Amino acid sequence: MKKRQRKFRAKSSGQLLIVAALAIAILISSTTIYVYELSKEANSEDVSSISNFVLALKQSTRNAMISSLANVSNGGEKNVLAANLNRLSQVFRSINNLGFCQLAFTPLSDSNYDSGTWLSWNISDMGVSSAYANFTLEVYGMAMNVTLNYAVNVTSTITINGYYTRLSGDEKLVNLTCNVYNEGKPALAKNMTFFYEGLGSWVPVDPSNDLSIMDYGNGTYHISFTVSTSSNVLQVSARIYDVRDIFIQANTTCYET
Amino acid sequence: MKSQNRGQIRIIEAFLAALIIFSSFAVSSNLSVRQNVKKSEDLASIGLQTLVKLDSDGSLGKYIDCGNWTALRDALSIVLPAGICFNLTVYNDQMHQVNTAVISNGGFGSQQIAFVQYICASQSMVFRCYIIHLHLAVAT
Repeated sequence: MKKRQRKFRAKSSGQLLIVAALAIAILISSTTIYVYELSKEANSEDVSSISNFVLALKQSTRNAMISSLANVSNGGEKNVLAANLNRLSQVFRSINNLGFCQLAFTPLSDSNYDSGTWLSWNISDMGVSSAYANFTLEVYGMAMNVTLNYAVNVTSTITINGYYTRLSGDEKLVNLTCNVYNEGKPALAKNMTFFYEGLGSWVPVDPSNDLSIMDYGNGTYHISFTVSTSSNVLQVSARIYDVRDIFIQANTTCYET
Repeated sequence: MKSQNRGQIRIIEAFLAALIIFSSFAVSSNLSVRQNVKKSEDLASIGLQTLVKLDSDGSLGKYIDCGNWTALRDALSIVLPAGICFNLTVYNDQMHQVNTAVISNGGFGSQQIAFVQYICASQSMVFRCYIIHLHLAVAT
Protein backbone atom coordinates (compact mmCIF):
# COMPACT_ATOMS: atom_id res chain seq x y z
CA MET A 1 0.00 0.00 0.00
CA LYS A 2 2.80 2.36 1.02
CA LYS A 3 4.72 1.41 -2.10
CA ARG A 4 1.70 2.35 -4.24
CA GLN A 5 1.39 5.70 -2.48
CA ARG A 6 5.07 6.45 -3.05
CA LYS A 7 4.73 5.47 -6.69
CA PHE A 8 1.70 7.75 -7.02
CA ARG A 9 3.57 10.71 -5.44
CA ALA A 10 6.54 10.14 -7.71
CA LYS A 11 4.23 10.11 -10.70
CA SER A 12 2.24 13.18 -9.56
CA SER A 13 5.46 15.22 -9.13
CA GLY A 14 5.86 15.11 -12.93
CA GLN A 15 2.23 16.11 -13.39
CA LEU A 16 2.73 18.99 -11.00
CA LEU A 17 5.61 20.26 -13.13
CA ILE A 18 3.37 20.15 -16.21
CA VAL A 19 0.59 21.97 -14.36
CA ALA A 20 3.11 24.55 -13.11
CA ALA A 21 4.47 25.04 -16.64
CA LEU A 22 0.92 25.45 -17.89
CA ALA A 23 0.18 28.02 -15.20
CA ILE A 24 3.33 29.97 -16.08
CA ALA A 25 2.41 29.83 -19.77
CA ILE A 26 -1.08 31.15 -19.04
CA LEU A 27 0.45 33.86 -16.87
CA ILE A 28 2.89 34.92 -19.59
CA SER A 29 0.27 34.90 -22.35
CA SER A 30 -2.28 36.83 -20.26
CA THR A 31 0.39 39.39 -19.35
CA THR A 32 1.29 39.72 -23.03
CA ILE A 33 -2.37 40.25 -23.98
CA TYR A 34 -2.76 42.78 -21.19
CA VAL A 35 0.31 44.74 -22.34
CA TYR A 36 -0.99 44.65 -25.91
CA GLU A 37 -4.39 45.99 -24.82
CA LEU A 38 -2.68 48.74 -22.86
CA SER A 39 -0.62 49.80 -25.85
CA LYS A 40 -3.81 49.93 -27.94
CA GLU A 41 -5.43 52.13 -25.30
CA ALA A 42 -2.39 54.42 -25.24
CA ASN A 43 -2.63 54.86 -29.03
CA SER A 44 -6.32 55.85 -28.83
CA GLU A 45 -5.43 58.38 -26.11
CA ASP A 46 -2.72 59.83 -28.35
CA VAL A 47 -5.28 60.20 -31.16
CA SER A 48 -7.68 61.87 -28.72
CA SER A 49 -5.07 64.34 -27.47
CA ILE A 50 -3.99 65.14 -31.05
CA SER A 51 -7.61 65.72 -32.12
CA ASN A 52 -8.18 67.98 -29.10
CA PHE A 53 -5.01 69.87 -29.98
CA VAL A 54 -6.15 70.29 -33.61
CA LEU A 55 -9.56 71.52 -32.43
CA ALA A 56 -7.92 74.15 -30.21
CA LEU A 57 -5.49 75.17 -32.94
CA LYS A 58 -8.27 75.64 -35.51
CA GLN A 59 -10.12 77.82 -33.01
CA SER A 60 -7.02 79.97 -32.47
CA THR A 61 -6.34 80.39 -36.20
CA ARG A 62 -9.95 81.36 -36.72
CA ASN A 63 -9.75 83.98 -33.96
CA ALA A 64 -6.53 85.34 -35.49
CA MET A 65 -8.31 85.65 -38.86
CA ILE A 66 -11.25 87.49 -37.24
CA SER A 67 -8.87 89.87 -35.44
CA SER A 68 -6.98 90.54 -38.69
CA LEU A 69 -10.15 91.16 -40.70
CA ALA A 70 -11.48 93.51 -38.01
CA ASN A 71 -8.19 95.41 -38.24
CA VAL A 72 -8.08 95.54 -42.07
CA SER A 73 -11.77 96.48 -42.44
CA ASN A 74 -11.17 99.38 -40.04
CA GLY A 75 -8.39 100.80 -42.18
CA GLY A 76 -5.46 98.57 -41.18
CA GLU A 77 -2.72 97.37 -43.52
CA LYS A 78 -3.39 94.25 -45.60
CA ASN A 79 -0.21 92.58 -44.33
CA VAL A 80 -1.70 92.47 -40.80
CA LEU A 81 -3.18 89.05 -41.57
CA ALA A 82 0.19 87.49 -42.43
CA ALA A 83 1.88 89.21 -39.46
CA ASN A 84 -0.74 87.95 -36.99
CA LEU A 85 -0.67 84.40 -38.35
CA ASN A 86 3.13 84.39 -38.22
CA ARG A 87 3.00 85.41 -34.59
CA LEU A 88 0.47 82.70 -33.78
CA SER A 89 2.56 80.10 -35.61
CA GLN A 90 5.62 81.08 -33.58
CA VAL A 91 3.73 80.72 -30.30
CA PHE A 92 2.51 77.24 -31.30
CA ARG A 93 6.04 76.23 -32.31
CA SER A 94 7.49 77.40 -29.03
CA ILE A 95 5.11 75.87 -26.53
CA ASN A 96 3.54 72.78 -28.06
CA ASN A 97 3.97 69.77 -25.77
CA LEU A 98 2.90 67.10 -28.24
CA GLY A 99 6.12 67.33 -30.21
CA PHE A 100 7.47 69.54 -32.97
CA CYS A 101 4.62 71.60 -34.42
CA GLN A 102 4.79 73.54 -37.68
CA LEU A 103 1.86 75.69 -38.79
CA ALA A 104 2.28 77.03 -42.33
CA PHE A 105 -0.27 79.30 -43.98
CA THR A 106 -1.01 80.78 -47.40
CA PRO A 107 -3.35 83.80 -47.55
CA LEU A 108 -5.58 83.54 -50.61
CA SER A 109 -4.72 85.80 -53.54
CA ASP A 110 -7.03 85.75 -56.55
CA SER A 111 -9.27 88.12 -58.50
CA ASN A 112 -11.15 89.04 -55.28
CA TYR A 113 -8.70 88.43 -52.46
CA ASP A 114 -5.52 90.42 -51.97
CA SER A 115 -3.12 89.00 -49.35
CA GLY A 116 -5.99 86.97 -47.92
CA THR A 117 -8.51 89.78 -47.49
CA TRP A 118 -11.37 91.03 -49.65
CA LEU A 119 -13.33 94.21 -49.00
CA SER A 120 -16.19 94.65 -51.45
CA TRP A 121 -18.17 97.72 -50.46
CA ASN A 122 -19.04 99.22 -53.84
CA ILE A 123 -21.42 96.61 -55.25
CA SER A 124 -25.01 97.83 -55.15
CA ASP A 125 -27.18 96.40 -52.34
CA MET A 126 -24.40 94.27 -50.87
CA GLY A 127 -21.19 94.61 -48.88
CA VAL A 128 -18.59 91.96 -48.09
CA SER A 129 -15.60 91.90 -45.76
CA SER A 130 -13.75 88.62 -45.95
CA ALA A 131 -10.50 86.88 -45.03
CA TYR A 132 -9.36 83.49 -46.34
CA ALA A 133 -6.23 81.46 -45.76
CA ASN A 134 -5.12 77.87 -46.26
CA PHE A 135 -3.24 76.16 -43.45
CA THR A 136 -0.96 73.17 -43.24
CA LEU A 137 -0.32 71.74 -39.80
CA GLU A 138 2.51 69.29 -39.26
CA VAL A 139 2.99 67.67 -35.86
CA TYR A 140 5.97 65.36 -35.32
CA GLY A 141 5.33 63.71 -31.96
CA MET A 142 6.72 60.78 -30.01
CA ALA A 143 3.64 58.67 -30.69
CA MET A 144 2.66 59.76 -34.19
CA ASN A 145 3.16 62.27 -36.97
CA VAL A 146 0.22 64.25 -38.24
CA THR A 147 -0.15 66.38 -41.36
CA LEU A 148 -3.39 68.28 -41.76
CA ASN A 149 -4.57 70.72 -44.41
CA TYR A 150 -7.47 73.01 -43.69
CA ALA A 151 -8.86 76.39 -44.74
CA VAL A 152 -10.34 79.17 -42.64
CA ASN A 153 -12.87 81.53 -44.16
CA VAL A 154 -14.17 84.50 -42.18
CA THR A 155 -16.79 86.47 -44.10
CA SER A 156 -19.17 89.17 -42.93
CA THR A 157 -21.84 90.17 -45.43
CA ILE A 158 -24.68 92.67 -45.41
CA THR A 159 -27.48 93.07 -47.88
CA ILE A 160 -29.60 96.19 -48.01
CA ASN A 161 -32.61 97.26 -50.06
CA GLY A 162 -35.41 99.74 -49.63
CA TYR A 163 -37.76 102.37 -50.99
CA TYR A 164 -39.19 105.71 -49.98
CA THR A 165 -42.65 107.26 -49.79
CA ARG A 166 -43.20 110.97 -50.25
CA LEU A 167 -44.68 112.65 -47.15
CA SER A 168 -45.06 116.29 -48.11
CA GLY A 169 -43.06 118.48 -50.45
CA ASP A 170 -39.45 117.24 -50.46
CA GLU A 171 -39.86 115.24 -47.26
CA LYS A 172 -39.57 111.49 -47.78
CA LEU A 173 -39.93 108.46 -45.50
CA VAL A 174 -37.22 105.90 -46.25
CA ASN A 175 -37.77 102.23 -45.39
CA LEU A 176 -34.83 99.85 -45.53
CA THR A 177 -34.37 96.15 -44.87
CA CYS A 178 -30.89 95.08 -43.90
CA ASN A 179 -29.59 91.54 -43.36
CA VAL A 180 -26.33 90.66 -41.65
CA TYR A 181 -24.52 87.36 -42.22
CA ASN A 182 -21.41 85.73 -40.78
CA GLU A 183 -20.09 82.95 -43.03
CA GLY A 184 -23.45 82.91 -44.82
CA LYS A 185 -25.47 82.46 -41.62
CA PRO A 186 -27.66 85.17 -40.07
CA ALA A 187 -25.73 87.21 -37.50
CA LEU A 188 -26.21 90.22 -35.30
CA ALA A 189 -24.93 93.75 -35.81
CA LYS A 190 -23.19 95.61 -33.02
CA ASN A 191 -23.51 99.09 -34.45
CA MET A 192 -25.32 100.54 -37.48
CA THR A 193 -25.05 103.97 -39.02
CA PHE A 194 -26.82 105.24 -42.13
CA PHE A 195 -26.12 108.01 -44.62
CA TYR A 196 -28.07 109.45 -47.53
CA GLU A 197 -26.76 111.39 -50.45
CA GLY A 198 -27.75 115.04 -50.41
CA LEU A 199 -26.19 117.75 -52.56
CA GLY A 200 -23.39 115.43 -53.69
CA SER A 201 -22.18 114.42 -50.26
CA TRP A 202 -23.09 111.77 -47.68
CA VAL A 203 -25.27 113.15 -44.89
CA PRO A 204 -25.48 111.11 -41.67
CA VAL A 205 -28.89 109.96 -40.50
CA ASP A 206 -29.40 110.90 -36.85
CA PRO A 207 -32.29 111.06 -34.36
CA SER A 208 -33.41 114.37 -35.97
CA ASN A 209 -34.37 112.21 -38.98
CA ASP A 210 -36.76 110.15 -36.79
CA LEU A 211 -34.43 107.20 -37.16
CA SER A 212 -35.97 103.92 -36.08
CA ILE A 213 -34.24 100.53 -36.14
CA MET A 214 -36.25 97.38 -35.57
CA ASP A 215 -34.10 94.38 -34.65
CA TYR A 216 -35.85 91.09 -35.39
CA GLY A 217 -33.10 89.15 -33.58
CA ASN A 218 -32.39 86.91 -36.55
CA GLY A 219 -29.97 89.12 -38.47
CA THR A 220 -32.77 91.09 -40.11
CA TYR A 221 -33.20 94.79 -39.36
CA HIS A 222 -35.91 97.16 -40.53
CA ILE A 223 -34.82 100.77 -40.65
CA SER A 224 -36.90 103.85 -41.28
CA PHE A 225 -36.06 107.55 -41.29
CA THR A 226 -37.18 110.77 -42.92
CA VAL A 227 -35.08 112.95 -45.22
CA SER A 228 -35.66 116.21 -46.93
CA THR A 229 -34.22 116.23 -50.43
CA SER A 230 -35.44 117.25 -53.84
CA SER A 231 -33.88 114.27 -55.63
CA ASN A 232 -36.27 111.59 -56.89
CA VAL A 233 -33.62 108.88 -56.62
CA LEU A 234 -32.21 108.46 -53.15
CA GLN A 235 -28.78 106.90 -52.50
CA VAL A 236 -28.46 105.35 -49.05
CA SER A 237 -25.34 103.92 -47.43
CA ALA A 238 -25.27 101.49 -44.48
CA ARG A 239 -22.09 101.19 -42.38
CA ILE A 240 -22.24 98.29 -39.98
CA TYR A 241 -20.02 96.67 -37.36
CA ASP A 242 -20.94 93.08 -36.66
CA VAL A 243 -20.49 91.54 -33.20
CA ARG A 244 -16.90 90.59 -34.17
CA ASP A 245 -16.07 94.28 -34.80
CA ILE A 246 -15.72 93.64 -38.54
CA PHE A 247 -16.75 96.67 -40.56
CA ILE A 248 -18.95 96.28 -43.65
CA GLN A 249 -20.41 98.94 -45.91
CA ALA A 250 -23.11 98.71 -48.57
CA ASN A 251 -24.99 101.21 -50.70
CA THR A 252 -28.44 101.00 -52.24
CA THR A 253 -30.65 103.14 -54.42
CA CYS A 254 -34.18 103.85 -53.19
CA TYR A 255 -37.03 104.73 -55.53
CA GLU A 256 -40.46 106.11 -54.74
CA THR A 257 -43.27 103.61 -54.31
CA MET B 1 16.06 10.03 -3.74
CA LYS B 2 12.29 9.99 -3.38
CA SER B 3 12.39 12.22 -0.30
CA GLN B 4 14.73 14.60 -2.21
CA ASN B 5 12.19 14.73 -5.08
CA ARG B 6 9.45 15.46 -2.62
CA GLY B 7 11.45 18.42 -1.32
CA GLN B 8 12.04 19.74 -4.82
CA ILE B 9 8.33 19.56 -5.58
CA ARG B 10 7.55 21.55 -2.42
CA ILE B 11 10.10 24.20 -3.51
CA ILE B 12 8.57 24.38 -7.00
CA GLU B 13 5.07 24.64 -5.51
CA ALA B 14 6.15 27.38 -3.17
CA PHE B 15 7.91 29.19 -6.03
CA LEU B 16 4.83 28.95 -8.24
CA ALA B 17 2.55 30.17 -5.47
CA ALA B 18 4.84 33.12 -4.79
CA LEU B 19 5.03 33.88 -8.53
CA ILE B 20 1.26 33.84 -8.92
CA ILE B 21 0.72 36.06 -5.90
CA PHE B 22 3.39 38.59 -6.89
CA SER B 23 2.25 38.70 -10.52
CA SER B 24 -1.34 39.33 -9.39
CA PHE B 25 -0.05 42.18 -7.22
CA ALA B 26 1.94 43.61 -10.15
CA VAL B 27 -0.99 43.43 -12.58
CA SER B 28 -3.53 44.92 -10.16
CA SER B 29 -1.27 47.83 -9.16
CA ASN B 30 -0.56 48.53 -12.84
CA LEU B 31 -4.29 48.54 -13.54
CA SER B 32 -5.08 51.06 -10.81
CA VAL B 33 -2.28 53.41 -12.03
CA ARG B 34 -3.65 53.15 -15.56
CA GLN B 35 -7.16 54.07 -14.34
CA ASN B 36 -5.78 57.14 -12.56
CA VAL B 37 -3.96 58.25 -15.72
CA LYS B 38 -7.13 57.73 -17.75
CA LYS B 39 -9.22 59.79 -15.31
CA SER B 40 -6.63 62.55 -15.45
CA GLU B 41 -6.69 62.51 -19.27
CA ASP B 42 -10.50 62.67 -19.26
CA LEU B 43 -10.30 65.67 -16.96
CA ALA B 44 -7.77 67.35 -19.26
CA SER B 45 -10.06 66.71 -22.23
CA ILE B 46 -13.00 68.29 -20.37
CA GLY B 47 -10.82 71.29 -19.51
CA LEU B 48 -9.66 71.78 -23.09
CA GLN B 49 -13.19 71.49 -24.46
CA THR B 50 -14.36 74.05 -21.89
CA LEU B 51 -11.72 76.54 -23.01
CA VAL B 52 -12.53 75.92 -26.71
CA LYS B 53 -16.22 76.48 -25.94
CA LEU B 54 -15.51 79.77 -24.17
CA ASP B 55 -13.20 80.83 -26.98
CA SER B 56 -15.61 79.94 -29.80
CA ASP B 57 -17.40 83.31 -29.62
CA GLY B 58 -14.30 85.23 -28.52
CA SER B 59 -15.48 85.56 -24.89
CA LEU B 60 -12.29 84.08 -23.45
CA GLY B 61 -10.08 86.62 -25.24
CA LYS B 62 -12.44 89.48 -24.32
CA TYR B 63 -12.33 88.63 -20.60
CA ILE B 64 -8.54 88.55 -20.71
CA ASP B 65 -8.23 91.72 -22.83
CA CYS B 66 -10.47 93.57 -20.34
CA GLY B 67 -8.82 91.98 -17.30
CA ASN B 68 -12.25 90.82 -16.17
CA TRP B 69 -10.99 87.94 -14.02
CA THR B 70 -14.20 87.63 -12.00
CA ALA B 71 -16.25 87.12 -15.17
CA LEU B 72 -13.71 84.59 -16.43
CA ARG B 73 -13.87 82.63 -13.15
CA ASP B 74 -17.69 82.70 -13.22
CA ALA B 75 -17.77 81.56 -16.85
CA LEU B 76 -15.45 78.63 -16.08
CA SER B 77 -17.57 77.68 -13.05
CA ILE B 78 -20.67 77.62 -15.25
CA VAL B 79 -19.21 75.70 -18.19
CA LEU B 80 -17.18 73.12 -16.24
CA PRO B 81 -19.14 70.21 -14.77
CA ALA B 82 -20.03 70.45 -11.09
CA GLY B 83 -17.51 69.00 -8.67
CA ILE B 84 -14.40 70.04 -10.58
CA CYS B 85 -11.90 72.43 -9.03
CA PHE B 86 -9.86 74.65 -11.33
CA ASN B 87 -7.00 77.07 -11.17
CA LEU B 88 -6.25 79.13 -14.26
CA THR B 89 -3.20 81.25 -15.05
CA VAL B 90 -2.90 83.50 -18.09
CA TYR B 91 0.48 84.33 -19.65
CA ASN B 92 1.31 86.56 -22.60
CA ASP B 93 3.41 85.24 -25.51
CA GLN B 94 6.56 86.20 -23.55
CA MET B 95 5.36 83.92 -20.73
CA HIS B 96 4.79 86.80 -18.33
CA GLN B 97 1.78 86.31 -16.08
CA VAL B 98 -1.14 88.50 -17.15
CA ASN B 99 -3.84 87.79 -14.56
CA THR B 100 -3.57 90.00 -11.52
CA ALA B 101 -6.09 88.01 -9.47
CA VAL B 102 -6.38 84.32 -8.65
CA ILE B 103 -8.77 82.58 -11.04
CA SER B 104 -9.83 79.57 -9.03
CA ASN B 105 -12.89 78.09 -7.37
CA GLY B 106 -11.24 76.48 -4.37
CA GLY B 107 -8.45 74.35 -3.02
CA PHE B 108 -7.20 71.15 -4.63
CA GLY B 109 -7.87 68.23 -2.31
CA SER B 110 -7.49 65.53 -4.94
CA GLN B 111 -4.28 63.74 -5.87
CA GLN B 112 -5.35 63.60 -9.52
CA ILE B 113 -4.58 66.95 -11.08
CA ALA B 114 -4.94 67.40 -14.83
CA PHE B 115 -3.06 70.08 -16.71
CA VAL B 116 -4.26 71.81 -19.88
CA GLN B 117 -2.30 74.27 -21.96
CA TYR B 118 -4.33 76.38 -24.38
CA ILE B 119 -3.36 79.15 -26.77
CA CYS B 120 -5.98 81.87 -26.91
CA ALA B 121 -5.85 84.31 -29.81
CA SER B 122 -8.05 87.30 -29.10
CA GLN B 123 -10.55 88.49 -31.71
CA SER B 124 -9.91 92.15 -30.93
CA MET B 125 -8.59 94.53 -33.59
CA VAL B 126 -5.21 94.61 -31.85
CA PHE B 127 -4.08 91.00 -32.06
CA ARG B 128 -2.93 89.41 -28.80
CA CYS B 129 -1.88 85.88 -28.02
CA TYR B 130 -2.30 84.38 -24.57
CA ILE B 131 -1.06 81.09 -23.18
CA ILE B 132 -3.47 79.64 -20.67
CA HIS B 133 -2.51 77.08 -18.04
CA LEU B 134 -5.51 75.35 -16.52
CA HIS B 135 -5.17 72.93 -13.61
CA LEU B 136 -8.16 70.73 -12.85
CA ALA B 137 -9.01 68.32 -10.07
CA VAL B 138 -12.05 66.41 -8.90
CA ALA B 139 -13.40 67.98 -5.71
CA THR B 140 -13.18 65.65 -2.73
